[in-house]
Amino acid sequence: MTDAVAEAHRRGWARVLATVVRITRDLDAAEDAVQDAFTAAVERWPAQGVPDDTTAWLTTVARNRALDAMRRERTLARKLPLLMVPTPAEPDEPDGLTDERLRLIFTCCHPALALPSRVALTLRLVCGVPTPDVARLFLVSQPTMAARLTRAKKKIQAAGIPYRVPAAHELPDRLPAVLAVVSLLLTEGHTASRGESLRQPELIRTATELAEVLAELMPDEAEVLGLLATVRLAAARGAGRLDDDGGLVLLSSQDRASWDRGLIADGCELAARAMRRTTPERAGPYALHAAIAAVHSEAPAYEATDWAQIVTLYGLLLRVAPSPVTELARVAAWSHVAGPAAALAEVTALAARPPLAGYHGLPAVRADLLRRLGRNAEAAASYREAAALTANAVERAFLLTQATQLVAE
Amino acid sequence: MKYMLMLFEPDTDWDTVPEAERTAALAEHEAFIAYLRGRGIEFSGEALRPSATATTLRPAGPGEDLLVTDGPYVELKENLAGYYVVEAADLDDAVEIARHCPTGTGTEIRPLWDAGT
Repeated sequence: MTDAVAEAHRRGWARVLATVVRITRDLDAAEDAVQDAFTAAVERWPAQGVPDDTTAWLTTVARNRALDAMRRERTLARKLPLLMVPTPAEPDEPDGLTDERLRLIFTCCHPALALPSRVALTLRLVCGVPTPDVARLFLVSQPTMAARLTRAKKKIQAAGIPYRVPAAHELPDRLPAVLAVVSLLLTEGHTASRGESLRQPELIRTATELAEVLAELMPDEAEVLGLLATVRLAAARGAGRLDDDGGLVLLSSQDRASWDRGLIADGCELAARAMRRTTPERAGPYALHAAIAAVHSEAPAYEATDWAQIVTLYGLLLRVAPSPVTELARVAAWSHVAGPAAALAEVTALAARPPLAGYHGLPAVRADLLRRLGRNAEAAASYREAAALTANAVERAFLLTQATQLVAE
Repeated sequence: MKYMLMLFEPDTDWDTVPEAERTAALAEHEAFIAYLRGRGIEFSGEALRPSATATTLRPAGPGEDLLVTDGPYVELKENLAGYYVVEAADLDDAVEIARHCPTGTGTEIRPLWDAGT
């Protein structure tokens, strides 16, 4: 029976909250009412049976709780202004094109909120992850996370961030703030920046669900399709990235037979659809990332990778989203076209620039190039340098093993 | 909802700026004001003299008179040079209005506390 509640939570939390928020016009009050409704479900469903439409049941209960609370509190002075719920010019399309969840997602991911706040709000309000779990996922204390959430919710209401889905012409400005949240969840899920394990499956699942919802709601947005493609391709290759002991396996050594072919086909199809909805020159970063992942996924072997294509895609990516980390990735790919010696000179030039100082990826790429040049002692030193810079235990162990093996050779 | 648009720019003494530049700057603000009037937006606003003309009162200590000091409260490379208070539907609307406002190095948008609600 708790399974039924868990399933209802997964399917319905965001819809119920998104609806109740429109009544309370207060995020905290809505959250409390929805929480109460789920508590009621845990109490009543075992005896009364699970309702046919769990989301509708929960919405009714939550709405009544919210209305009761509002009647009780009517006499109390409000400290915060109410959430800005714009009155739509026309009622919502009857075919449900405007999904309630989208309003919630775009409000939680408003660019006027800092990225960490957007991520925390999305996990808490859109995904219904309890605050202590949000805190644990980002390795901060519960009071710190609670304070971050409170501050963010207060800003939404006090600063008048509207509870609405942006118009089509606003999407290019507003979508990146949403995609950045999903992307950060995905990246952290697959390679935790800190901690003992490499992957955090809960974050991957959350990112996947969000990307699916976005693609379902905005099926023509190239960047949304690109993000979902990246989610699918990362999942397809996820198992191959870890050995039996949970250690890291590089792309070059992965057993490609362990990759999920169904997910790869799905991901490549999505990546191609994303690129068809744009042009290579105008493609956004998520469509390009997906295209790069697709080229890797379609290669029958590491040596058979179409590196020239990957270098071209990274070049396009650098034009729309310049970043030193992407430059490093481009150089790493280019080393398979131009050779490790030429690439090493580029890496040395990159190292002289401050943004990459302290980034473990730089000495790791340098180490790989030095190893391929047979300069083993220098390569081992670079691997150790990289190991000292990463805060993830699995990555550190992998880099130190590489160093040890080189010394032994 | 009322928002203040705080306009930051490098300290400028508009009295000593060449006339053509001053006229151009004023024209930008006139264009913004025309935009506000065109949309029927209630507003007010003023420009400030440079921070070198500022005087700041600071607590001198418990039981002592406030100390009068020369200069702005915080010394910055860029200072508050002027402001508008506009009536906007929500933050998105305020951002849209602020995009039309001439800006030096940055425009901070702050909701005003409404004591009436």
